[in-house]
Amino acid sequence: MIQTHLADELELDPARVEESTHFKNDLDADSLDLYTLVQELEDTYGVIMSDEQAAGILTVGQAVDFVLAHAPAQRP
Amino acid sequence: MTQTVVVAVDAGGADAGPAEVSRAAELAAAEHGVRVLLFGPASALGTATPNVEVHDAPLSIAKHPDPVRAVRAHPEASVVQAVRAVAEGRADALVAGGSTGAALAAGLFRIKRAPGVHRPALAMRVPAPDHPFLMLDVGANTAVRPEHLVQFAHMGSAYAELLLGLESPRVALLSNGEEATKGSEDVVAAHALLGQASAGLNFIGNVEGFGIATGAADVIVCDGFTGNVVIKMMEGASSALMGAIRGAAEQGARFRLGGLLLRPALRGVREAVDPERQGGAMLLGLRKPVVVPHGSFGARGIAAAVGLAARAVREDLGGRTHAALEAGGALRTREVTSAAPGSLPGIRDSR
Repeated sequence: MIQTHLADELELDPARVEESTHFKNDLDADSLDLYTLVQELEDTYGVIMSDEQAAGILTVGQAVDFVLAHAPAQRP
Repeated sequence: MTQTVVVAVDAGGADAGPAEVSRAAELAAAEHGVRVLLFGPASALGTATPNVEVHDAPLSIAKHPDPVRAVRAHPEASVVQAVRAVAEGRADALVAGGSTGAALAAGLFRIKRAPGVHRPALAMRVPAPDHPFLMLDVGANTAVRPEHLVQFAHMGSAYAELLLGLESPRVALLSNGEEATKGSEDVVAAHALLGQASAGLNFIGNVEGFGIATGAADVIVCDGFTGNVVIKMMEGASSALMGAIRGAAEQGARFRLGGLLLRPALRGVREAVDPERQGGAMLLGLRKPVVVPHGSFGARGIAAAVGLAARAVREDLGGRTHAALEAGGALRTREVTSAAPGSLPGIRDSR
């Protein structure tokens, strides 16, 4: 579900988004794109990501792992 | 009876200070029939009035060197609180001057992009004498893709219909030659896309720099880096020219007399090209109207920005731009057609 959400935000077919997809290298994302994604994850899944943590999220898989590890219980 | 438009105004970014923005809020409420939610240091904003609600937000991030991080790190900042009021439906539109970066970042994070829009673009009415025109992007995106330029063209056309009162605005790409093959790779690709049958868009091709201020087009489309340089160059050149005319008119009694005779006519020109009368630039492509007045604007200019925001609400600018994108087949889809290998639409390094 998180991966599908990310695909939607990235305007991609979910089938094209893999865990290894690198935001900057594969998607040419700039900092504003990345922070918009981070904000979206925070708003949707109730996670809080510091700038330092956000800087360490380089791939789709890392974003999914972060949400799974930090999302409060009973969140969507 | 129609509902009163509510505009959230960030008072933290104006060069003249929050008290000047407070005066602008009163002016706007009186002139444009709006209610204003004012965000800034309450100590400088004065007391609330029936149409101006004061929200204490002492922290300004307008001068922060990294507006994106500042928006995230300071949810209590005046611009972030004002944006939140819009995102949560307490206000219908936002006016935030002094930091385009902060307004853009906060707008993207909270108000969010309108459905089907790749990137918001900053559109400004440029008051060239006899030929006012719309230019976009004037600073939201330093680098763009062809599909972004295509969307800017459609959104700009819809906005020009509203703002300039034109039925079928002439839309052009800014380039270094009129031929379709002239320009950067992205401009050439955008020209090819816009040249295809595009419902509702009166695309006339490329315009060159010397055509900008002489009425060659009603809507001029470019990337935000180019657009920002162009409008600042025009402002500087206009100011230098007015100064030179003033200087020439003061050299000797005969010229002073001539200057006196010309003064009413020159005053008319000066008022026509006054940037404060334009109200600032509109950030097209977000879910609610966002107006970015120049940080140097005084109360009159900021009030005009509030009036522009209210007009965008009343005349459904968001609906108009969406309809234009849809009619032109320019809404973003999941089909990647023009992105370079290894890159995708909507995501681009904007260094």
